[in-house]
Amino acid sequence: MWNLYLPIAGNSINILLLFGLGGAVGFLSGLFGVGGGFLMTPLLIMAGIPSTVAAASDSNQIVAASTSGTFAHYRMGNVDFKMGFLLLVGGVVGGTLGVQLIKVLVALGNADFVIKITYVVMLGVVGFYMFLESLQSLRKKAVVEGKRPETGGTSAYARAIQALPWQLRFDKSGVTFSALLPLILGTLVGILAAIMGVGGGFIMVPVMVYMLRMPMHVVVGTSLFQILFTCINVTVMQAITNHTVDLVLALILLVGSTLGAQVGAKLSRRLKADQLKILLASIVLVVMVQILVGLILTPNLLLGYKGGH
Amino acid sequence: MTVRGLKMRKLAWFGLLAAIMLVPAVAAASSARIRLFPDRVDIGAFFQGVEVTLQGEIPPGAEAVVEIQGAAVQQELLRKGRRGGLWMTVGEIRVENAPNLYLVLSSAPKVPQLDGQETPWGFPALRSRVKFQGALTDQEKELFFKEFLELKKSEELYGTLPGAIKIGNSPEGQTTLKGTFLLPAKVPPGNYRVRLSVVKDGRVLEQKNEELEVKMVGFPALLAAMAYEHGSFYGVVAVLIAIATGFIMGFLFKGKAEH
Repeated sequence: MWNLYLPIAGNSINILLLFGLGGAVGFLSGLFGVGGGFLMTPLLIMAGIPSTVAAASDSNQIVAASTSGTFAHYRMGNVDFKMGFLLLVGGVVGGTLGVQLIKVLVALGNADFVIKITYVVMLGVVGFYMFLESLQSLRKKAVVEGKRPETGGTSAYARAIQALPWQLRFDKSGVTFSALLPLILGTLVGILAAIMGVGGGFIMVPVMVYMLRMPMHVVVGTSLFQILFTCINVTVMQAITNHTVDLVLALILLVGSTLGAQVGAKLSRRLKADQLKILLASIVLVVMVQILVGLILTPNLLLGYKGGH
Repeated sequence: MTVRGLKMRKLAWFGLLAAIMLVPAVAAASSARIRLFPDRVDIGAFFQGVEVTLQGEIPPGAEAVVEIQGAAVQQELLRKGRRGGLWMTVGEIRVENAPNLYLVLSSAPKVPQLDGQETPWGFPALRSRVKFQGALTDQEKELFFKEFLELKKSEELYGTLPGAIKIGNSPEGQTTLKGTFLLPAKVPPGNYRVRLSVVKDGRVLEQKNEELEVKMVGFPALLAAMAYEHGSFYGVVAVLIAIATGFIMGFLFKGKAEH
């Protein structure tokens, strides 16, 4: 009685299961500023949704969760629109480049190898670095919450940032550097995200924290703002070219996820930046291990359907 | 009238007589019947698969084989393999002429086989029709046909159900049939051919075909038509609904927080 037919997915699924999945992933989205596609899409495939429909409908759902999350963070003053816009422009350029790169890799015949290795390495590097860094600062209590590391140090990275033209002040984030920096970093994340077929929130968040040196709470709000536009683009494109957006699936998921995103955003204000980082790092590492196990264990079947992540 | 003309006339009369005499025999041979309940399947908003019952009659002493077969489609599948010790996609395999659903039911505890000729039902018969192309060698085709069957069986779209048809006796001395099969929630909309083959002593006595229509109706049909025929409108609506829900939820929570 709690089952509903999904016309584009061509399968029937339990409403409560979808609602629960949406709620859990939306909660993480509001808490960490990630879209959660790297968690949701595999879960939907496990529930019997074709992978192409799972990925496209999930991006539709993320539009709702990130609207809800961005709105909640905006009210708390946690969205740096200027920074978000520059990252977004970079992300679009990077995404376009990444799609072309994938075409070249497919033609060379080793696309999946590059995709899988990039995925595992990125998750591993991001997860380990974030985990160790936040563990250290949690232990030493050396970094007071809200105070960022010195940007005027003598490191080559800091000097390079200052040497770039078009220096700009980002009030919400409390940083001053060249407008080129978020553009370049946005492009790099966009390329990686396109290769991996994900939104890239889990790479963008650490990039903002460690390379743009933004405060964690502004990072979450700004990341959600950026994800919102990326996913609007993906949803419309998928609906036009592949007809893979299942509105029924997305609707049930997004009722759960918008609720979850609000709860997550509220909790994110109560948690310390290092606690947030260490939690996100742990989730990223768990996903990495799960993918790695999938690569090592012999699969049940040697044939599978196309699409997905 | 020539002698030749007379001969022809006799021959024609003889032919007609023979035809009249044969009619009852043919009528007796085509005594098999099959009916489906329901005879049309509607996929509505709450569809979660359906159990279809088949009933029919066959001549005494015979066995029944029923095949439920969907349209032959072309499918692009991904082949997994090892690269650098890791399992991943290593190429594409195109499967041609494989039905999108194939179920075989029989009255005998083992699906009957024909004597001296190729049995037209079951997975071995399917093997001779299905073509594989792409990232596989000729030697690997058997292995990948088995993998293909396993994939389809795991989705409940392919299956053999020996003994699933129960046999009884009608007051008219005919053998009656009754069986059920499940069309899973994943069943693709379309027309399905249900074929009853009457088998005796390793030979097919007769075959009867029925059609089973599976159709999306109501809200799912409306949504699918919009998604396929007005993709850009559908995409924009999907995004607008998502944004609106996000904002509404935001306002609802704002109200709560102000208490």
